[in-house]
Amino acid sequence: MRAFLGRNAFPMTVFAIASAFLGLFFLWPLLKVFGASILDASGNHFTLANYITILSNRFFLNGLTNSLGIAASAAICTALVGVPFAFCLARLPIGGKAVLLALAALPLVLPSFVSAYALVLMFGRSGIVTDMLQSIGIPFESIYGAKGIVVVYTLTLYPYIVLPVTAAFKSIDVSVEEAAQNLGASRARMLRTVTLPLVLPSILAGALLVFIEALENFGVPFVLAEDRPILSVEAYKLFVGETTDNPASASVLGMLLIVCTVIALLVQRGLLARRNFATGARRSAPLIGVSPALRWLGSVYCWLVVAAALVPFVAVVVISFMPFSGPVLHTGFSVGNFTQLFERSYRPLTNTLMLATLAACGATLIGVPTGYVITRHRSRLSALIDIVATSPFAVAGTVLGIGMVMAFSSGFLILTGTWLIMVLAYMVRKLPFSVRSAGAILHQIDPSLEEASINLGVPPALTFARITVPLMLGGIVGGFVLTFVTVASELSSTIVLYSGPWTTMTVAMFQALEGTSAGVAAAAATVLIICTILPVALVYRLLRRHELSML
Amino acid sequence: MTAITIERAARVFGTVRAVDDVSIAVRNGEFFTLLGPSGCGKTTLLRMVAGFCELDTGRILFGEQRIDTLPPHKRNTGMVFQNYAVFPNLTVGGNVAYGLRARSVPSQETRERVTHALKLVQLEGFAERWPHQLSGGQLQRVAIARAIVIEPHVLLLDEPLSNLDAKLRVEMRGEIRRLQKLLGITVLYVTHDQEEALAISDRIAVMRTGRVEQIATPRDIYERPVTPFVASFVGTTNLLDGVVRAREGDVGEVAVAGTTLRLAGVRGNAGDKVVLSLRPEALRLLAPGEAAPARCVTLSGTLNEVEYLGPVTRFGVMLADGTALQLMGLMPPAASGAVAVAFDPQRVVVLGPPA
Repeated sequence: MRAFLGRNAFPMTVFAIASAFLGLFFLWPLLKVFGASILDASGNHFTLANYITILSNRFFLNGLTNSLGIAASAAICTALVGVPFAFCLARLPIGGKAVLLALAALPLVLPSFVSAYALVLMFGRSGIVTDMLQSIGIPFESIYGAKGIVVVYTLTLYPYIVLPVTAAFKSIDVSVEEAAQNLGASRARMLRTVTLPLVLPSILAGALLVFIEALENFGVPFVLAEDRPILSVEAYKLFVGETTDNPASASVLGMLLIVCTVIALLVQRGLLARRNFATGARRSAPLIGVSPALRWLGSVYCWLVVAAALVPFVAVVVISFMPFSGPVLHTGFSVGNFTQLFERSYRPLTNTLMLATLAACGATLIGVPTGYVITRHRSRLSALIDIVATSPFAVAGTVLGIGMVMAFSSGFLILTGTWLIMVLAYMVRKLPFSVRSAGAILHQIDPSLEEASINLGVPPALTFARITVPLMLGGIVGGFVLTFVTVASELSSTIVLYSGPWTTMTVAMFQALEGTSAGVAAAAATVLIICTILPVALVYRLLRRHELSML
Repeated sequence: MTAITIERAARVFGTVRAVDDVSIAVRNGEFFTLLGPSGCGKTTLLRMVAGFCELDTGRILFGEQRIDTLPPHKRNTGMVFQNYAVFPNLTVGGNVAYGLRARSVPSQETRERVTHALKLVQLEGFAERWPHQLSGGQLQRVAIARAIVIEPHVLLLDEPLSNLDAKLRVEMRGEIRRLQKLLGITVLYVTHDQEEALAISDRIAVMRTGRVEQIATPRDIYERPVTPFVASFVGTTNLLDGVVRAREGDVGEVAVAGTTLRLAGVRGNAGDKVVLSLRPEALRLLAPGEAAPARCVTLSGTLNEVEYLGPVTRFGVMLADGTALQLMGLMPPAASGAVAVAFDPQRVVVLGPPA
């Protein structure tokens, strides 16, 4: 027994810490939400009345169908946009691929509700483009509602399709395609019967991510839905407005969101179950020689998609430097919006930077060792921890926030209203990312390197520090920065958990949107964009340099 | 430098007996090879000695000291991995010094020993290079230098040559052998390549499905295999089913391939089944009209296959009773169709009953 503990001290310690963290700050709050959904207003008696009330209410039923419909449409639209994009990037001889890929990945770190807000500024009721079109007599339909939301999701979430599918297109072994052609298939037939089916699992995986992200997103529907009910927004509104001791209705909506995600996961698994193609490319398939016209077409398509996705962000930055009087925009240059934004305090900015740094540190410190142990010490326990550590991804930020408020407003641990509860929520939400990215890097590091170090006399924990961490460093830094920027633009759990002194940039923008200070909102959006682009640009160079020195 | 004693080691993975009651005694300074097909347990056994795989039962000793209870970093073994496992974040010098630093060797001495080790593997002046600047063969040398510089009790090599091309493989195995003799170090070597094992080893343990089939010198492994598996895995051979007709002491009469041979090394009683191993190079195709050499037995059959292999030619002969024989000869045959095959019965190895 002592020998067992001695040999497994490292993984066991890591698992203990990860389990304690996830149990207390993820599972316990979710249990609270579940509990509240099946208890009556007093919070003492079991009842299904809450579910019956919500599900028999037209408004919330509409919310459910709206949410599901929008998420499914977003998944389909991103696939329709992203798969051709990935194909061009992976298989056509078009120029500027590195730049295209970097630009295509950019929306992942930019706050999506900023894009939504930019759309309002341009195409809203008194938007710039709307006014222009109307002044020359072209009627323009409103972009509010499901259509606008799906457009924003398509433009901000398509990287979830592009990145995995590009990789999948590249990982198809050349011999599989050659075999198809050798057996008499035309190139079009080969693409349809061999290439596309082989990347289908990646498309489905990406589409699932889009679906989940779209389902849980709070900011975009908040900006664009107007009075149409969307589950994640309604859960927040109910929670804020609920007056009884037991926030039953909000909890029921939260449970509905979770159930929808779980069903989507199961559907995806079912679709993937019979499609496990590991081709293990030894030589990836070559670029496809096409006519200059097609090549040009592919190029134009890719640049158009990238531009369409990034134009809203550029527009917001430009608009933020123009003078506003109330909601009305004037031409000219002004930093008035920024002075107005920061005139009361710089706290939102410093709060965002501090909270994001702390959350990124925390998620890295817990996530990297957990990812390491899950990858290197395979067992039933590590499989279980893997599932629990990656499932926060499937839980909407608003729902986790509501659960944390319920769990930590009273009892042995009171955190509501503190900065700590926000950091903890961020850590939980970003943990899947840290764990998975650590695992992904580790898959590229041969375990025999660690064994060689141990064999030469360096104990396991020290080997982890001396060999594994330096080899993982590029990935760890990258993961840290990505965690930082996604926390900086996080809104859905922040909106539930923040308290006055801990207002973040996202909340500042949110408040400006609720009021009429469009200029301030644009200025806040610009600051957020800078907060996310700058760190990514910095590590982008650092990562490339690191890569070069490694090989 | 020490002897390695493996006593009744066993390990089960799920339902697979990866290592099944294996006992091996490697002598001090011996070059000992574990040979077998993939999945035979040879790598698992090596990793048990290194400490990366735990034993379910049994024990392992270096000299008199039991080591299977020690954690891997305290066993002082030098291991060379199949994919070299050269640390990409350290220079060649840093890699070789790694184990010395872990042992807190003074820096002056470390430098001297690193230089010496690099010289031994013919990488003088490479200390400042980075691993990504080296070829596969050079990485292999770094891995060896790194393993021997710590003066390990034993040197463990896990298929170290399998990632090199054929020519370099032959060159490197000669070099590994030269180093081993120079340093007088005990080596435990794992390979699936029987030619490599024969060329390099003092003794070989042939393994199959977690068990040791035979431990012997390369020459005995080839010429005196004790099981049909060893006979057919090391080199190629003709395995013929025979039946003992009579036996007196060690010598018996065995009916095989439509004839009866008088052979040494027969065990069992009349009526017992045995397997005979007859190497292709022990068989000779007689030219038409050529008389069989003295002591030789002649069989007749039909020549149905000729493969020209350069230095030698391989023939397939079908005997009258349907037995197929493979022969190896120097010259293409003048004959075709009906042929005669001659061999010296002394070169027939009698193995136990068929498995």
